[in-house]
Amino acid sequence: MNNVIEISHLTKSYGKNRGVIDVSLKVEEGDIFGFIGPNGAGKSTTIRSMLGFLKFKEGSIKILGMDSVKDREKILREVGYMPSEAWFYNTMKVSEVIKYAADVRGIDCSREAEMLCERLKVDKNKRIKELSLGNRKKVSIVCAMQHKPKLFIFDEPTGGLDPLMQRTFFELIEEYVSKGTTCLLSTHVLSEVNKYCRNAAIMREGRLTMLESSQIDDDTFLKFYED
Amino acid sequence: MKSIFVREIRLNLKTVIIWSLSVGLIGLACILLYQNMQGDIEEMADAFSNMGAFSDAFGMSTLSIATLGGYFATEVGTVHGLGGGMFAAIIAIGILSKEEEGHSGEFLLSLPVSRTKVVMAKGLSVVLSIVFFTVVCALFYMAGFKALNEEIPMKEFMTFMGMNLLMNIEVAAVCFGISAISGKNKMGMGLGLALIFYVYDLIGRVVPDLKDSLFIGPYSYANASTIFSGKETDAAAVTVAVIITIAAVISAFVIYDKRDLAS
Repeated sequence: MNNVIEISHLTKSYGKNRGVIDVSLKVEEGDIFGFIGPNGAGKSTTIRSMLGFLKFKEGSIKILGMDSVKDREKILREVGYMPSEAWFYNTMKVSEVIKYAADVRGIDCSREAEMLCERLKVDKNKRIKELSLGNRKKVSIVCAMQHKPKLFIFDEPTGGLDPLMQRTFFELIEEYVSKGTTCLLSTHVLSEVNKYCRNAAIMREGRLTMLESSQIDDDTFLKFYED
Repeated sequence: MKSIFVREIRLNLKTVIIWSLSVGLIGLACILLYQNMQGDIEEMADAFSNMGAFSDAFGMSTLSIATLGGYFATEVGTVHGLGGGMFAAIIAIGILSKEEEGHSGEFLLSLPVSRTKVVMAKGLSVVLSIVFFTVVCALFYMAGFKALNEEIPMKEFMTFMGMNLLMNIEVAAVCFGISAISGKNKMGMGLGLALIFYVYDLIGRVVPDLKDSLFIGPYSYANASTIFSGKETDAAAVTVAVIITIAAVISAFVIYDKRDLAS
């Protein structure tokens, strides 16, 4: 199996404040990888470094065999990212945001976008400012999936989604993964890790530890947060 | 990059149209008022040209507002200079920072486009907006001359519009650089900068000690009364403007490419 994500000794700090320290991680092709840890542990810093939002001086990140700094544009063609907050341009309509994302990618994703909107019950005629967090997240899912990427990076994706949509969301992930996509899932929800993830790692105070199994009981899971 | 450029143009279209029409129409109204004032303007011209520092500041010591050219330079020149500078600042100061302030930066930069291309697309949209503003205003002013059946002093008029275009681009470039550094929209700072540049020029024309340093400010080479009184454009001022513009734009590219993006 090829490694889709290879992070090697990544260290990122914000001035004197800790970000992440000496993080190394490998995620294999076709995996649904659970990325767990308390708030402020460094999960988002790791993800944001992978996507080039943050600049780091120590360590290296390879995604799909490419260097995350030098080949950022090429990598992002193959990545579907869903941020935890799912913000867009308030005055734009949902259909315009979805088309805009496809246009910047330079590809026609209309058929896939149509299918995703139908399954996620996205109202394309509404303006972004009229949407609740849950509905913005659904738009974000469409934007992350419509170009059929090789890698999904989801940062706390299910917050705000109702249970039915959460189920549809994971059904979609499994469908894409069965066709060869890999998924990095940052979450606080234990049931998501247990049910869907094949491998997992926990982040605490900026350091990463691989877990032997993604099947974790409640007590162990909460202990990660307490410690 | 094209999609980002088009989106920025669409997003700013309302602002650009409102500012172009407002400044253009105010300028046109000023020109049309000339006819109504023509009876009294001779006396006013004498009075205005003998008001010492005030006359110097507004160029009325070198130009007579009794002629349409002089009237245009002192009245419309002020409206266009101030309006254009404020417009340029408003359009440029938030163009990059609004992505972080509105939390849409993660969406935009998770798409396969480099930060350099984002800066390029947004910068070009600012330039196009300023060019559009200048053309619309120029058409209004020309319509004013036409309505009064007066001949346009074309050489001075084109120099004035061209220099103001450069001045607006310089103000926009400085604000563009600030926008690249900041994660917040600094609208107040942008407007303040435009006003400071204007006041600096105004004071510089009154205070003798400042006259030698006038060329640093962007309004020095775009001053209507200087242009319409037939004086040569200050090459040093234009050179400084070009250097500041290039330095500010390069800084915007370098800073935006190197810094961490706020979530």
